[in-house]
Amino acid sequence: MKNFLFLAVFTLLNIAASAQKTGSITLHFDNAVGNEALVLKGKQYTNASGEQFNVTFLQYYVSNIRLVRKDGSEYVVPQDQSYFLIREQLPETRNAVLNNIPKGDYTGIRFVIGVDSLRSASEISQRKGCLDVGGDGKDMYWAWNSGYIFVKMEGTSPQIPLTGNRKEPIFLYHIGLFGGMGDKKTLNNIKVATLSFGKEKVKIKTDKNTVIGIKTDVSKLFNGPTTVSLATTPTVMAGPFSAKIADNYADMFSYTGLKKEAAASDTKIALGMK
Amino acid sequence: MKTKIGLVVSALGFFLLSFCSTEDPKLFEKPGNFPAPVYKLGENPLTPAGVALGKVLFYDALLSKDNTVSCGSCHQQSAGFTQHGHALSHGINDLLTKRNSMPLFNLAWSPDFGWDGGVHHLDLFAISPLQNPAEMAETLPNVLEKLRYSKTYPPLFEKAFGTDEINTERFLKSLSQFMLTMVSANSRYDKFMRNEGETLTETEREGMSLVEKKCSSCHSGVLFSDFKFHNNGLKAASNTDVGRYDITLLDEDRYKFKVPSLRNLTATAPYMHDGRFGTLEEVLDHYASGVEKSPTLDPLLNANGQPGISLTTDEKTKIIAFLKMLNDEAFLKDDRFSEFEMRENPEMAQFANTDWDKVDLTTQNPIVKNALSKALGYYWGIKKGLMAENGAEVSGSAKLLLNILENLDRTQLTPMQKAFYHKVYQDLGFDIEHVSETQSVSHQRDHFGDLSKNLFRLIKAFKTNEKALYYHFCPKAASNLGGYWLTETSEEKGNPFFGKNDKKCGEIIHYMPK
Repeated sequence: MKNFLFLAVFTLLNIAASAQKTGSITLHFDNAVGNEALVLKGKQYTNASGEQFNVTFLQYYVSNIRLVRKDGSEYVVPQDQSYFLIREQLPETRNAVLNNIPKGDYTGIRFVIGVDSLRSASEISQRKGCLDVGGDGKDMYWAWNSGYIFVKMEGTSPQIPLTGNRKEPIFLYHIGLFGGMGDKKTLNNIKVATLSFGKEKVKIKTDKNTVIGIKTDVSKLFNGPTTVSLATTPTVMAGPFSAKIADNYADMFSYTGLKKEAAASDTKIALGMK
Repeated sequence: MKTKIGLVVSALGFFLLSFCSTEDPKLFEKPGNFPAPVYKLGENPLTPAGVALGKVLFYDALLSKDNTVSCGSCHQQSAGFTQHGHALSHGINDLLTKRNSMPLFNLAWSPDFGWDGGVHHLDLFAISPLQNPAEMAETLPNVLEKLRYSKTYPPLFEKAFGTDEINTERFLKSLSQFMLTMVSANSRYDKFMRNEGETLTETEREGMSLVEKKCSSCHSGVLFSDFKFHNNGLKAASNTDVGRYDITLLDEDRYKFKVPSLRNLTATAPYMHDGRFGTLEEVLDHYASGVEKSPTLDPLLNANGQPGISLTTDEKTKIIAFLKMLNDEAFLKDDRFSEFEMRENPEMAQFANTDWDKVDLTTQNPIVKNALSKALGYYWGIKKGLMAENGAEVSGSAKLLLNILENLDRTQLTPMQKAFYHKVYQDLGFDIEHVSETQSVSHQRDHFGDLSKNLFRLIKAFKTNEKALYYHFCPKAASNLGGYWLTETSEEKGNPFFGKNDKKCGEIIHYMPK
């Protein structure tokens, strides 16, 4: 009997050990404007409309991350660990760390740009960490039309005319809207980014942190299917034109390759849910 | 036989009661004639301490940027929790909002909130007025910081939630808990519907069937709203408010607004999203003959190509008679929802909804004048200490100030003056205490702005100053939260928030002649 118990405990431990064969992934976001690295405030860029602009503020949500296997199946990162707010002003937030990823080969990644509709509609206890509207998510929420701002970029452009109440040539792009509740529809600007790792398969090794480089080209907000002029539309918020901007930035993410591996515990963590 | 059952039932009741004796009376009960609530009470179980905390928050002006506006400022109980006499509600610095403040009752049955329904959960609602620049103009993180920093709140949060942690969820849920208790279901109509012995006059009975026939497609059910959005044909003149369109961006939703309940109408005038009608007669006149055609006009208001609802003068009278049956006097006076609780302050209750800016509180009483004159003297001592950055001097003067105000002989005040004093002193005493308890000049400065503000408020209302007073504001004070101070001349230089490092910040925003 004692032996049997011993065996049972041994087996359980074994199962636990094999279940732990996981590694971690860090998604490292490099924000850029075209081929140039993004520098807040200092640098001037030019958009496809030929307008000069600089960027003073950039934040966006990345959530509901899935890793795609060779056979097309997906590993879905548990939802509560799958919300990140990337904030250009805080470099450590550009590393989104995903733990407990089963070891194996992965060929691509998919994620929501913004916050999915279910979480957008969830009750307040489901909104912690970067989703806390009284905390880290404070700049990313519309109180009057309940919902998160998915992508928020602000800056200035000398081409923006000073008319009406506009005292400074600033642009404000606050893009959100998750589709609304039940039959009360709003625009749905939720976009999903799908990136392939190309020929390079990403191997997740036990207890190793694999760092995946992702470039975020924010010039795509202006230069995409719709060529946007800052002079014409310096402010885009919860209006119809926001759909064009969301279509534009849907492909602003690209895979740039593997970075140096690090020990699993050795990476600064982006603003997650905890 | 009946008595026997009665006995059994009461025995059973007693049996159950003896088991539940530690439970408080129900904080939220679904009235017998109401449907099941929409709010998921299981996600935010009401507790006495949670509701009590929500109430304190609801009536605390700390929720606004300059600590002048509370939820209760625009949602006054006697006005059915609307802002009495205001077509458009107004927030800090008397800025007008674009809409009439909506009544607050039976919120547990509302699927969304606001005239345009932009907020889809009661817990999320408070953030909107809190952060609206024309309402409370604060930010949620700031409010949470103020609460964490206060002496009052951490213990209240601990009572309500087990620990003194103050976070977004707890803050919003406690506000909801209080608002959920605001159930209005004791109008004569309700008592009639529940067979509680209420009877209808003939006029009321006819009014009721007229409302059923002519109004109930929108004002439906026992809550008298279908909670949907309709364009009721208000004249578009000067109306740039597109209502529901702001949310859905659908052309078909232009000029549509939430159907409000018909309960407590006598208290909630003026009517419509912009408060354009002052009386129920005007509202009915609108439906009878003022409805304007537009592409999104509700089809029900355009039956047979004839805009409006046919109503004779006699029918209007009967409808109004019935609508008055929907007033719930008990709710409007229920001290569970009042700023001043009758149980604790029976004298204060009558002034619960006084607009203090509109009443004359001038006093000539020598005892009061003398006390406030002394108080001002100690205030100058505090200010001098802050200028010199002498924390001990500040603390000493604050102790003297506290002593004089705490012991002011309140029997010398009229009941209305007393209620005002009580209200102001609640905040004023709090800040003076903080200033007196520490010698840290930076902490003293954090409380000095509000101290100045409320002392000025008191003196301004009672008009006891012997010299002119100048009221200054510096937006950079107290880590950019802003702060006020007083002087007796307009030339006086210096800023008590910065002392030796005066940043030349501040301007006179008010002048009070002697």
